[in-house]
Amino acid sequence: MRGFQFQFSLPALCIAASFLMLAAPNATHGDNWAGWRGPGGNGVSHESGLPLKWSSSDNVAWKTPLPGMGVAGPIIWGDKVFVTDCDGPHQANLHVICLARDSGRELWHDQFWGTSPTLHHDTKSSMATPVPVTDGQFVFAFFGTGDVFCTTVEGELVWQRSLASEYGAFENRFAASSSPVLYENLLIVQCDHYGDSYVLAIDKATGATAWKVDRPGYWHSWASPQLVPVAGAKSQSQSQFELVLCGSEKLDAFDPATGRKLWTVDGMLRECIPTPVFDNGLLYAVSGPKGPTLAVRPGGRGDVTNSHVTWSAIRGAPFVPSAIVVGPAYELVDDAGVLTCLDATRGTRRWQARLPGRYTASPLAGDGRIYFFNEDGVTTVISSRADRYEMLSQNAIDEPIFATPAISQGQLFIRTPTHLWCIGQAARPKRSTEARPAGGSLSVR
Amino acid sequence: MNTPNVVAANWYRAAFERVVARELADPRHRLPIEDFKQFVRQQNHSGRARRLALTAVDRLDPKFGPTLIPTLLDDREFRDDAVAAVLKQGVAAQTRGDKPAAQRAFQLAFAHALSPDQVTAAASKLQSLGEQANIVEHLGLITDWSVIGPFAAPGMTGFRAIFPPETAREPLAAVTQTDKKTLQWLPAHASDAFGTVDLIKSLGPTDEAVAYAYTVVESPSDQQAELRCSADDNLSIWLNGEKVFGRDMWLNGTRFDRFRTPVHLKAGQNRVLVKICQGPHHRDPAVGNAWTFQVRFCSADGAGVPLKRMPAVESTLRSKPFEKVTSGK
Repeated sequence: MRGFQFQFSLPALCIAASFLMLAAPNATHGDNWAGWRGPGGNGVSHESGLPLKWSSSDNVAWKTPLPGMGVAGPIIWGDKVFVTDCDGPHQANLHVICLARDSGRELWHDQFWGTSPTLHHDTKSSMATPVPVTDGQFVFAFFGTGDVFCTTVEGELVWQRSLASEYGAFENRFAASSSPVLYENLLIVQCDHYGDSYVLAIDKATGATAWKVDRPGYWHSWASPQLVPVAGAKSQSQSQFELVLCGSEKLDAFDPATGRKLWTVDGMLRECIPTPVFDNGLLYAVSGPKGPTLAVRPGGRGDVTNSHVTWSAIRGAPFVPSAIVVGPAYELVDDAGVLTCLDATRGTRRWQARLPGRYTASPLAGDGRIYFFNEDGVTTVISSRADRYEMLSQNAIDEPIFATPAISQGQLFIRTPTHLWCIGQAARPKRSTEARPAGGSLSVR
Repeated sequence: MNTPNVVAANWYRAAFERVVARELADPRHRLPIEDFKQFVRQQNHSGRARRLALTAVDRLDPKFGPTLIPTLLDDREFRDDAVAAVLKQGVAAQTRGDKPAAQRAFQLAFAHALSPDQVTAAASKLQSLGEQANIVEHLGLITDWSVIGPFAAPGMTGFRAIFPPETAREPLAAVTQTDKKTLQWLPAHASDAFGTVDLIKSLGPTDEAVAYAYTVVESPSDQQAELRCSADDNLSIWLNGEKVFGRDMWLNGTRFDRFRTPVHLKAGQNRVLVKICQGPHHRDPAVGNAWTFQVRFCSADGAGVPLKRMPAVESTLRSKPFEKVTSGK
């Protein structure tokens, strides 16, 4: 498949309808989880029949040991699961591993040397923190050492880039954590660090640089790029998506095809870790702790701080976990477990609850539920209804969870520091028929 | 694989691993295991290639690595592994009550350890046996300084601004500012085991400002060294009046060995002047604004070079006046 998957909310159906024409040749693959936070990068699955209850011994389809250290969540395409890892001195030995989706059996395992390992957090980050991304033909893995590798889904190395050699060694206290995204024929990598920051678009077929934009001053960012559909993008000169990057104190949008800067919003905090999410025609960007969520209408030009920020709210800001939006509910769990639900259209408080434990992994949604994964290995599942907090289950495994899990084909894939767990029955689920705030999945050439 | 080009090395590695995997699948494999062992022993080869060869050897002769590693205490690639192995031996001796053996092992580990965590671990183990280990000399840390500031530098202008300590002939002359306030040099000592100096403790909390730190070190001979340094927010360094380092970065942290540059230490006194910039405060007033720096002189592998350090006050009195400051990097 040459495009990437994207999802649309009902308010954006008019945009989605126009894209369907473009997407038809490459549509489907809705059950894949091709990159960071799945289809659309919002952490929302459109499947039903997802696991509700499990433990270390119950409802576990398989559990496979991983060789070293990693905080990158897994990705799933068809019958394959891909996960990255690192070990060795300074974590400079890098792994790209492919497992069979139905059994967890290792299908292939590539190892590479990283160029420039950095400092990292003891548990919340490593050289293998960025989540890989796939288009079903190739797997693209970016590491905190400043290296990018492209392999086939069969494990053959296609190309590699040592960005640290080309543009300067990465400097980072907590390791580069930004997960790359695919846009048409481009792999887009956000390289914000203490040295010379930049965003780079790489031709995914050849590994050649398509464009590079320097980002001086954007040193405290661990967020991932987000692709946002643009309402009313009709002219051929205007891309149908905006590439949005969180950086120190700013939110910037670029034309993903060319790297041309489109707009900027001031008001983020200095350190940005959560990745923005998109729904309801709004982009929700948060930085913390104690920073604001900014709900921004895409499509502006220049400094749109005063014109396109629909609402701003301080309440509930996490430091690490990204937020999730499910229809009218915008939900944030902060690192200490305070769960806040804001009205997605106005930013007003709907309700607040206390979840057990501390949080690094970002929440996921699907099947009318939202999943919150704490650092002790406990997953709290709540109803995704916006009007009140309703806990459906709590599920503990005997290993901590720092990586954001993945959902695919009715199963939940949880990466712990030592294992990859597959939770739930292997049967392929039916598509959900219930009304849902986010619409179908499609891909765009 | 003996190439500094990591991209090329990875292509070679991919081929090597395919060959090894293919051969290992055959019970009558033709892998030249003795050649691999020899390759591992030879320090002239690339460290990562030697480590890869060791991985292959481990599959066929698992005793080779554990036997060889503890002997590689001066090896560029395997030093940390060797120190870890010796520390483990020391802990085992300590557990079985063999204090002399434990002491020998921890002394050996400390003498060869260069990474901060291993230096700390070995020093701590020696301390537990009643023996002191001098981390300052071992790593070449500079811990005693005279400091002056703050000089106001709004809008992150401090890195390029020039204040009197950079140009004065008297190294430790007091500075009277335009507001008639006089700044004096004050003694400052590192606040942790790895030479980090907290300027807020000496000069008080401030934002958007510059401080200077000065000291003199005596080198027993002319010697090449690496100057390794770090600061929050940034720093510039003059050695004997010549600017040898400067990096215009802001809002960062002091991290051990963050920056390194080769320098020449002359026999006798060497004057070291450091300029440390402090950036603006975080938007959240509750977030602190650290102002720290760290400097050491070491060999290329990180071991401290021979130096005599003078206490801040002594170095102040005995040092010669600045020569005219030359521009630098």
